[in-house]
Amino acid sequence: MIHIEPAPWRAMQEHAVEAYPNECCGAMLGAMDGDAKTVRDAMRLDNAFAGAQAARYELRPEDLLAADSAARARGLDLIGIYHSHPDCDAYFSKTDLENSCPWYSFVVLSVQNGAFHHANSWLPNFARTEAAREELQY
Amino acid sequence: MPKILIPTPLRQFTAKENAVTVSGATVGEALDALAGRYPDLRQQIFTAEGKVRSFINVYLNDEDIRYLGKTATPATEADTISLVPSIAGGATVAAPLTNDAAPALSNEEILRYSRHLIIPEVGMEGQQKLKAAKVLLVGTGGLGAPLGLYLAAAGVGRIGLVDFDVVDFTNLQRQVIHSTKDVGRKKLDSAAEKMLAINPNISIARHEVALTSENALEILKDYDIVVDGTDNFPTRYLVNDACVLLGKPNVYGSIFRFEGQATVFAYQGGPCYRCLYPEPPPPGLVPSCAEGGVLGILPGTIGLIQATETVKLILGIGEPLVGRLLLYDALGMRFRELKLRKNPECPVCGEHPSVTRLIDYHQFCGVPRQAAAPAQEGKMNDGEIDVTELKQKLDRGDRFVLLDVREAHEYKIAKIPGSKLVPLSEFAKHLGEFDKNAEIVVHCKMGGRSARACGMLRQAGFTNVRNVVGGITAWSEKVDPSVPKY
Repeated sequence: MIHIEPAPWRAMQEHAVEAYPNECCGAMLGAMDGDAKTVRDAMRLDNAFAGAQAARYELRPEDLLAADSAARARGLDLIGIYHSHPDCDAYFSKTDLENSCPWYSFVVLSVQNGAFHHANSWLPNFARTEAAREELQY
Repeated sequence: MPKILIPTPLRQFTAKENAVTVSGATVGEALDALAGRYPDLRQQIFTAEGKVRSFINVYLNDEDIRYLGKTATPATEADTISLVPSIAGGATVAAPLTNDAAPALSNEEILRYSRHLIIPEVGMEGQQKLKAAKVLLVGTGGLGAPLGLYLAAAGVGRIGLVDFDVVDFTNLQRQVIHSTKDVGRKKLDSAAEKMLAINPNISIARHEVALTSENALEILKDYDIVVDGTDNFPTRYLVNDACVLLGKPNVYGSIFRFEGQATVFAYQGGPCYRCLYPEPPPPGLVPSCAEGGVLGILPGTIGLIQATETVKLILGIGEPLVGRLLLYDALGMRFRELKLRKNPECPVCGEHPSVTRLIDYHQFCGVPRQAAAPAQEGKMNDGEIDVTELKQKLDRGDRFVLLDVREAHEYKIAKIPGSKLVPLSEFAKHLGEFDKNAEIVVHCKMGGRSARACGMLRQAGFTNVRNVVGGITAWSEKVDPSVPKY
């Protein structure tokens, strides 16, 4: 189960809507107790995908490293990654799966016609061949 | 004794430690020591072969060790090692559009598409997907002709056409979207007129350009699917790379004489053209339709396979032709299938791509850019001769050998008087028969094959060798129109 507190949730939605019609991406910082995760802060990261970003995103490892250091400095942990799907459902696509990492929760926000529509959280398996839906609370 | 920072989710394996100091003089030794201390962690970081997993980047302080000494990078107690995953993704292009974005169909359209609407796999929803779809056809020639006609008829809402050519008489044998009266007209206008005549409900974007590295991303980005109907390698690699970079499927087809191929490249998770052909063939090895000929019906068959795949991708039905190369042999009337795999080392779609932007594809394929204007008078390069100069030499009765390196069946269609036929296919074994001191002039149909024959001659030590620019086609245009063009 992943619970996103109101402030980071608002920030993630705003980010997704601002980036529309492109995809946005960012890091979720918070605390983790077994399978219970709480997101306390959302950190915007640059979508570094070189081509059109309407249906693709890419994180620079340096940015992720910086997010992890920032989290540690504040006594928080990096517990997940979020990104948006413009005009598309919040499913975990094949592209998402193959470029994911089994360590983190992946929250996908669906933005349709420029407005937030719905969101899901996904947990990729170790082989990155499928992702399980994680209960998402916000 | 470097310090390794443990990512949050892995702390379950390190007794909740968020940083672990380990022994080891290099990054590799340190990681190994970590895995030795926490055995459950090993498979999170290493493959069964003991390599660091492909999605993990190892950083020493703030540098990726790939750019340092890899796992042999020295590490001291002042250093911090981090494990940073590679993360990317994105919604897929073939993703179902939501219903509120689906365009409505008029009563006229409902009637027009009724045979689609009553198939359960298509229905109203599918037809609306077709209407919402944006498909780019690169080329309106042999493959583009059936594609344009059928995709228009099927109701693909927005179709982009890329072509800068005009209709030529030799096109009519196969490019059924153009009529005899269109000869000399822009292919774009001729094709768009036929498509709109079939279906006035669609819109057509005309891109009257040669696709280049400078304009390709800008043109392709507005489309959902790109269909490659090109006939040359530089454009084929350009279309492929642009599709990979933009994450758009590339519906590919190619044809030669009686054989064709089709597949879908750059589809989510599937291989791309470079996975199949990392390098282009040497220039001139694979003849174009103009050089090698093509059964006129063949592009119809292959183009319609491409059209079928395009419609399937839009509708999201069936099994897309991804990871499979369909081979068609018209003479044997057989289809075969080859399995294609995504190459993890692929320079453009692999795990660590080296091509991250469009390059110079003419240089990559080793072929000169298509001349913007017909060869200028009197501007021949060394080793080349113009047809008018050839005519003067023949008229003067100069002593030289004129070799025709086309095939015997082409020689029967048309020839330059005084030429000796030595087909390129058997040229090498006749090299010994020519006089090294003689002046030799070589021609073919358009200048490509004769350029290779000239190269073979020069390599064999012949010094006085020239290639006829434009071949017998230029001869027919500039010297003797009674010689038929083909």
